[in-house]
Order: sequence, then structure tokens, then C-alpha cells
Amino acid sequence: MLKVTELGKVVNTAAGDLEILQEISFQLAKGESLAIVGASGSGKSTLLGILAGLDTASHGDVELAGQSLKALDEEGRAALRADSVGFVFQSFQLLPGLTALENVMLPLELHGHQDARQRAEKFLQRVGLDHRLEHYPKQLSGGEQQRVAIARAFANEPTILFADEPTGNLDAKTGATIIELLFELNQEQGTTLVLVTHEERLATRCQRRITLEAGRLEQAVANVETAPC
Amino acid sequence: MLSLKLLWRNWRSGELRLLAAALLLAVAVVSAIAIFTQRLEGALIKQSNTFLGADRVVRSSRSLPVEWYDSAGEAGLKQAQTLLFNSMTFAGDAMYLASVKAVSDEYPLLGELEISDEAFNHRSTTLERIQSGPPRGEVWVDSRLLPLLDIELGEQLFVGESELLVSKVLVREPDRGDSLSLLGARLMMHIDDVPATEVIQPGSRIRHNWLLSGDEAQLSAFLETLKKEFSPHERIMDLQASQRGLSSTLDRGKQFLGLAAMIGLLLAGLAIAIAAQQFARRHTDQVALLKSLGAGANHIRSLYAKQLFILAVVASLGGLALGEVLQRAIASIVSSMYPLDLAFAGLWPYSLGLLTGLLCLLCFALPPLWQLPTVPPIRVLRRDIHVATVSGFWQAALGIAAVFILVAVYSQNLVLTAVVMLGFFALLALAAGIALLMLKLGRVWGSRSGSSWRLAWASLLRHRGQTVAQILVFATAIMLLLVIFVVRTSLIEEWRYKLPDNAPNHFLVNIAQNEVEPVRKLFTQEELDLQGLYPMVRARLTEINNSAPDESLKKQVGVLNREANLSWTPTLPEDNRLLEGKWWPEMNLDGQTHYVSVEQELAERLNLKLGDQLTFSVGGLNLSAEISSIRSLNWDSMRPNFYFLFSPGALDSYSPTYLSSVYIPAEKKPLINDLLRQSPTILVVELDLVIEQIQNLTAQVSDGVELVLILVLLAGVMVLLAAVNASMDYRLQEAGILRALGSSRQRILGSTALEFICLGALAGFLAVIGAELLLLGMQQWVLETPLQAHPLLWLAGPIIGAVIVCAMGLWASRKVVTVPPLQVLRELA
Repeated sequence: MLKVTELGKVVNTAAGDLEILQEISFQLAKGESLAIVGASGSGKSTLLGILAGLDTASHGDVELAGQSLKALDEEGRAALRADSVGFVFQSFQLLPGLTALENVMLPLELHGHQDARQRAEKFLQRVGLDHRLEHYPKQLSGGEQQRVAIARAFANEPTILFADEPTGNLDAKTGATIIELLFELNQEQGTTLVLVTHEERLATRCQRRITLEAGRLEQAVANVETAPC
Repeated sequence: MLSLKLLWRNWRSGELRLLAAALLLAVAVVSAIAIFTQRLEGALIKQSNTFLGADRVVRSSRSLPVEWYDSAGEAGLKQAQTLLFNSMTFAGDAMYLASVKAVSDEYPLLGELEISDEAFNHRSTTLERIQSGPPRGEVWVDSRLLPLLDIELGEQLFVGESELLVSKVLVREPDRGDSLSLLGARLMMHIDDVPATEVIQPGSRIRHNWLLSGDEAQLSAFLETLKKEFSPHERIMDLQASQRGLSSTLDRGKQFLGLAAMIGLLLAGLAIAIAAQQFARRHTDQVALLKSLGAGANHIRSLYAKQLFILAVVASLGGLALGEVLQRAIASIVSSMYPLDLAFAGLWPYSLGLLTGLLCLLCFALPPLWQLPTVPPIRVLRRDIHVATVSGFWQAALGIAAVFILVAVYSQNLVLTAVVMLGFFALLALAAGIALLMLKLGRVWGSRSGSSWRLAWASLLRHRGQTVAQILVFATAIMLLLVIFVVRTSLIEEWRYKLPDNAPNHFLVNIAQNEVEPVRKLFTQEELDLQGLYPMVRARLTEINNSAPDESLKKQVGVLNREANLSWTPTLPEDNRLLEGKWWPEMNLDGQTHYVSVEQELAERLNLKLGDQLTFSVGGLNLSAEISSIRSLNWDSMRPNFYFLFSPGALDSYSPTYLSSVYIPAEKKPLINDLLRQSPTILVVELDLVIEQIQNLTAQVSDGVELVLILVLLAGVMVLLAAVNASMDYRLQEAGILRALGSSRQRILGSTALEFICLGALAGFLAVIGAELLLLGMQQWVLETPLQAHPLLWLAGPIIGAVIVCAMGLWASRKVVTVPPLQVLRELA
């Protein structure tokens, strides 16, 4: 599902070129789950962005759902994201002017689904927010907002889901609920999951984990003792 | 349709409201002004044409070919004929040289005659308005002809061989102003009665007027063709040619309305640009999210383009409807004050309104939105990623090009466009520099002041770029409003000045030397002032520098073909201005050489310079004089004006008669009869009716101007609101933090108020600089009025700026103190 080869990212700064990511290679099979962990500034979010096709690598390549990202332009990558990718963000990224229902409908409408409303309602019901359909983000708690974001991510039935610190803005209890929900849905849909976290509890729920240190892959381990995702 | 859904959601969330409102207002302002101006212009031209009694008049000194009348009839035009000549009238032993106007049945084609059954009665309640002249066998006469011939209404008088019934007093005729050169009391008769009078003989001086009316395009085309058959005797008279004073009033009025439309449009354009900037800023994250959800740049471009297009169409149609309602309201107010025949404006102003909406959106909203689809999707993960925007240079260049095109299209005046643009740039460059400088100076002062000041100044400095941009926007809006206000005020003052209430309304001509004192005494007794008493000698200019002017020059300059009025005066007349040379007291007049001062336009046409020698023929005697000065004068002043003014004594030996003008109020009109009984040879030219007509027209245009000003003010308020709103996000956030840290509401409100007062006052000050520059340019090149500064503006600008901006700022930031700080911070997180 995901194959990363010799991936590197260099950015130009006033002080010269800065290598944010260096020689990262790994593979992830369909349905597997992977946690990317590391200290702040280790390059986790940059890596996630490149894996999801939101940004481009300076060298190396990423193969996502059998498609080389290097060979695609921005339009092509957008089309791939539309078909196969879902996102959950730390800051939820809900549009403030849209209701919970409309936020979930948005990707479905973008892809021309005629039954956008029904599907969105179904997924909001699944995340326990069927009584909050017409609420705006500012009328929802942080946990509720993230549940809307999860509903939005799964509504499009992606084959791979990227999550960036999905519990980062939530308290421990709400965070735990959100983790449960995320993994439940992941299992139901058979989705491949890649998440960036610094939360041990979350990382251990994944089948595999890689640790980044200063842009390099420090270790890749299989969480053998982990419960199946 | 997804774009429609997104549009609705964006609208609901309030993000599009400012943009839509600005667009709506732009279209409303432009279409209301364009439609109203078009209607007003049409109505005013129609009304002014009543001064001609028709849309056009063909004037000739010979009778016109009958085929012309037939062809005008075939072309579907309305026509009438009038004959003007002087003729002796008799009643018993009394006789008087009357100014006769013989009219056909159709006369007048435009406007009305006012007649009365009572002499010397100008009260409108007793007047009868009628659209035809006297029937055959009857004459209508000026009141004063009755005592002159010692007759009453209902009695008979003789014109030549015909005895005619004096049935009515003629109070007003629409084209009276057209006959200033024919003097004396009016007698109006039917044209078919003329042959029987036998007063017209070969060689008689007669003016034939052929009045024409009809569809403007048809009329122009007809005359264009007919012109080819004209002999040198025929001339076409339109408003321009016949009424200089009126047409310049109308031109100024049109110029003002054009300027108002342009300024309204610029203001609305500015509001659109600000609203679009704000929209683009707020949508950057939304686009990044849409991209992460799989929407490509093209998809996003099409989504936004469709939204904008729908918005443009809906807002433009709304604006058009609002513009129509507004112009109807204005029209009904204006027509309720004075009867005006406001016709349908045609489709052009409506199309112009719609075009404006699309053009404004394209020019002002597109540049800030252009880069929106290129927002990188990675921004959903990393907010610090830089978003490329269309460079400031290109945005400015596009904006300037847009403004130039719009200004040029609306003003249809490249000079005006260039002046406005220059003023704009001068202001921007100056303002940016001064604003930065004052911010720096203010920091030093602010740091020594109280905490509210310190906070206010710190906030302005922290967002220096935005502060300067905001000052520029405020300054531009205030500048444009000041300009329109000053132009409107000076325009109305100019009109009033041109025709003050006691402007001379009668000319007294042909006063003999020995009658001067008795005339003066008569008027002094009635407490009326004679405006100067000018000696007058009629003479023909025969030589320039001792050689006769060549034929081609003679064809171009009328003065060379007829007698001109020469005069002399020791002092320069009140509204004359010396442009070159010296006036008499500064010269060494020896009595041997005669000097003459020449009017500027004539001097230019004849290519005359100081020191040139002019020779006149005065009743066969030659008079030579050297040009010692060139003067400008005001032809609209209703005072005696002369092309040639001589040095004192130069004309003494040529038996001059005298000319004067005087203001005679309506109730003292009978005085004219006393004057004429006392000195029957004096000719009185009555201008009071013409002046009254011009004053009414001026009042009407002034009211139109005032109402248009309100629309422009509205656009100005819109810009200020848009600019204040644009800075609200960061203001709310900062205030939220300050409140969370324990700042009192009062302090936050105080520092916010101070911040806006500083912004407004500084913008107001810069606006005055820009307004003065712009006004100077307009006075010099567009309005052609004397240059003058406006000292009051320097006080008013900063105060108005501070008050308005502060009021709007506080209103917009009321949320800062009314909503709990946590909510403010959460909403903006």
C-alpha cells in the first residue's frame, strides 16, 4: 500500500540548505497501521505530508496505492488523494462557516457523490453525533469536533488514512475516546493507517512504529504485543 | 451544483457579505448616477431648448427655400417659422419702434408663452400659459407698449398698413433670450398678417427663424444633409450657440455628475478590493483543506470562479434594482420641486451598471483572489508555509489599469482622468512616506504617554504594513469625499455668484449725452443703482497695423464684418482681468496717442499683440489706437462687456451715446415706462425673464447634485467600514489576550478608540494634502476656475477623519468588550 524509498527533503533557508528528512525507506502493507514518533522538530509532520502527497520529496520516491507520487503533478496527486486518502488533523480543520453535517459532506460533494447527505449522516451517527448535525464547529467541544473530522475522513471510504497528532489538542479522557473511535473505524473499513504522534498510548496501538530523530529513521519496530488494529 | 452550494454556505457564514455589498453599491451608485444623469441631461437639454423654442433653429437673413419645409415634413420633423424685425407702430398720434415677432401656428415647438389680461402683472396666478401665438388679426404686446402708445388692451394699433387688435399682454416667450440684438418692446403677431402690413420691403433687415424639433438622431441627420445647401446667410442655432451662460451651467453640472459617478465608483472599487483581500485571506486555509481532500487547483479555480460569477451577476442585478429605485427617488424629488420631463434613459446606463459590476470584480477582486488555487495543500499540516500571492506590484498595476479604464470610460475626459490619477499617485507616495514618518515620531511620544496611548501606538506599530495600508485607504476615501464636497460647494457658489439675486436684469442702450443726468436722477430717486455708465461709439475695425485684414480672416471673425461697440472707461470694469500690458494709471497718457485694451479671445483670433495699431472707421472718420493691454472678461456676467475699451478721452469727438445695466425688481417695472416717456429714444433690453429661467434651471441642477452626493457619501462610508472590518481579526485577538491578562474593558476600549482616532486623524491630514493637490489640478485643467486653497479643509479633514474612523472602529470592535475573552480567542484560534 505504501512504499517509501530513499526519501529525503531539503529546504532552502537563509543559512543554506537544510536537510529535514534523510534516506528514509520502509513499506506498509494494506490494512496495516504505522505510528511515526519522534521529538518536536524531528520531521514527523513533513514526512506525513510527503507520504500523503501534500508535499513533494527532494529525492527518493513514495509509492501510494501502487502509484509513484514522483511521477504525478499536483493535479494528479490531488486526484489520488481524492480516490484513496483520508486525513485527521491535530487542529481538526473544520470549516467554521459549515455545520457538522456540511463539513462531512464537503469531500463527498467534491467527488460528486449524489448521496453525500445520507453518507455524511450515516458516518456522523457512527461517531455518535447524530444529534449535532446542524451545529457549527464553534458550538461543539474539542472532542466532538475531532469526531466530526474522523467522520469526514472515513466518509469518503479511503484506502489509507493519515492522522497528524489526532489527540494532540484533546484532554487524556477525550483523547482515549477518540483513539478508540479511530481504531474501531479503521478496523471496520480495513483502512491502512499512518499516524504521527508523540503519545505512547496511541503509538502502541499501531502494529508498527518508526522513530525519527533529526530527520533520520532511528528504528522501525513491530509492536508484536499490540492488539490487532 | 457544488459552487452554488459553496456560495450559499459562504454567504451564510458572512464571508461574502462585504464583497457582495461593495459590489452591489458600486453598481447601484454607477447605475443610479448614470441613469439619473442621462434622464436629467435629456430633460435639461429639452428644457434648455425651450430657450430656443425648439431643438434647433435655422437662422437666416433671407427667406428660406420652400422645398426645405417640405423635406423637413417628409423627414417627420415638427417645424415652425418666426420673423423678427423692427417696425413702427401707431395708435392715434403716438408711435413707437417695436420689436416685432411674427409667428406661425406651430410656434413655439418647445416651451410655452405666458400671456395676461392685465398690464404689468407678473404674478403667476393670473398668467395664462399657451402653446401657440396670437391668432390672425390680433397682436400680443409687452406691457410697456400700451402706455407708450397710450392704448389699453382691446384697442387697435397699426403695424404698417394693417390695423390689428391688441388682445393680450405678452409676459414671457421661451426664446426671448435669443433676440438680445433686437431692442425695444415686443409685439407678437401672426405670420400670415405680415404681407398685409407692407412693412417688409426689399432690403429690410429681417431675421428668419426656422424652428425644428423631433427625434435627435433624425434631426441631426436631416440638418447635416441640409447644411450642404446652406448659403452664407444661414446658421444653425443650438443651445451651445445661443446661450453661452446656460450651456456652461449645464456643462459644469454634467462635469460634476461625471466626477461624482467616478468617485463613487473608485470608492466602491476600493471597498471591493479590500473585501476580496479579506475573503482571500480567510479562504487560504479552506483551499488548503479542499486540496488535502483531493480537489485539484483547476477544480478549485473553477469552483471559485463560478461562485464569483454568480455573485457578480446577482449583486449586479441587485445593484441595478437598487440603482433604479434610487434614481427614481431622486427623480421624483427633483420633479416634485420643479416640473421636469424626465424621459426614459435608454438601455445604455443599465448596461453600464451591469458592466461595471463585472469589470469591478474582474479588476479589483480578481488580483487578490488569483493565487488562491495555488495555496499548497501542505498548509493543512504546517501553517507557517508561505502562501504565494500575486505580487504587490502586479496587484497595484492591475488596480491602476482598472481605475484608469473606469475613470476614462465614465468621465469621457482624458484630462480629468490624468488629473485624478496623478492626484491619486501623488497622495499614495506622499501619504506612505508621511504615515511612516509620523508613526516613528509617534512612538517616541507614545512611549512617554499614558498606558492607553502606549497600547494604541504599540498596536499601530506592530502592524506597520497594515497600518500604513489602512491609513492610505482611509485617506483615499476621505480625500475623494472632500474633493466631491468642495467641487459641489464651489460649483453651487459659482452659479450663485454668476447670477446673484440682484444681478442687473435690464440694459439701457442709446442714452444721449444730455439724458445721462436725468436718467441717473430717475434711478437714484427709486434707490436703484446703475451699474457703470459706458459711453459707446459704433465703429468698424478696418485695419490692423495699417493694412486691411485679409478675406479668410474676415470669414472667420464676425467683428470684422460688422460694427462693434467701442467704449472707454477710466477704471477696469469689475469682472474684467488684465492679462497683459498696463491699465491707464500706470501709463503715461499724453493725449496725443490713443490706446485701446482688447478682449483676450478676440486678440487671439486676430493674432493681436501689445503695441499693434488698430484703425477703426467711425461714421467715415478714422480712429487709430495702439493696443496697450489684453483683458479677459466674463460674458455670463449680464453686465455691459466690450471687445475694445479705449483710454479716457479717445472717443470724445465722436458723439457717443451711453449704455448701462441696472437691477429693476419686478414691482418697479413700471419705472421703465416713466423712463421711456421721459426719454423716448432710449432702448431698454429686458433680461429679467431670461435670468429667472437660468436661475430656475440652476436650482434644479444644484438639487440633483446634492442628491448624488449622498450616494457617493454612502460609498465612502462603505470603504471605511470595509477597511475597519479588515483589521478586526487581529484587533479582536489582541484584545482577547489583553482581557485574558486582566486589562479592563475601559482601557481596551480607550486604547482602541485612540488607535482609530490616530489612524483617522492622520488619514484625514493626508487626505487634505491629496484633496488640495487634486483640486488644484482640477481648477487648473478641468474646471478652469481661479486657483484657490481651502484653509478650512486643513482643520476639517483630520477632525472628520478622526471622528468617523473612531466611530466606525468602535462600532466594529464592540465585540471586543461584549463577548467573553475566551469565546473571542476560541473563535479566532
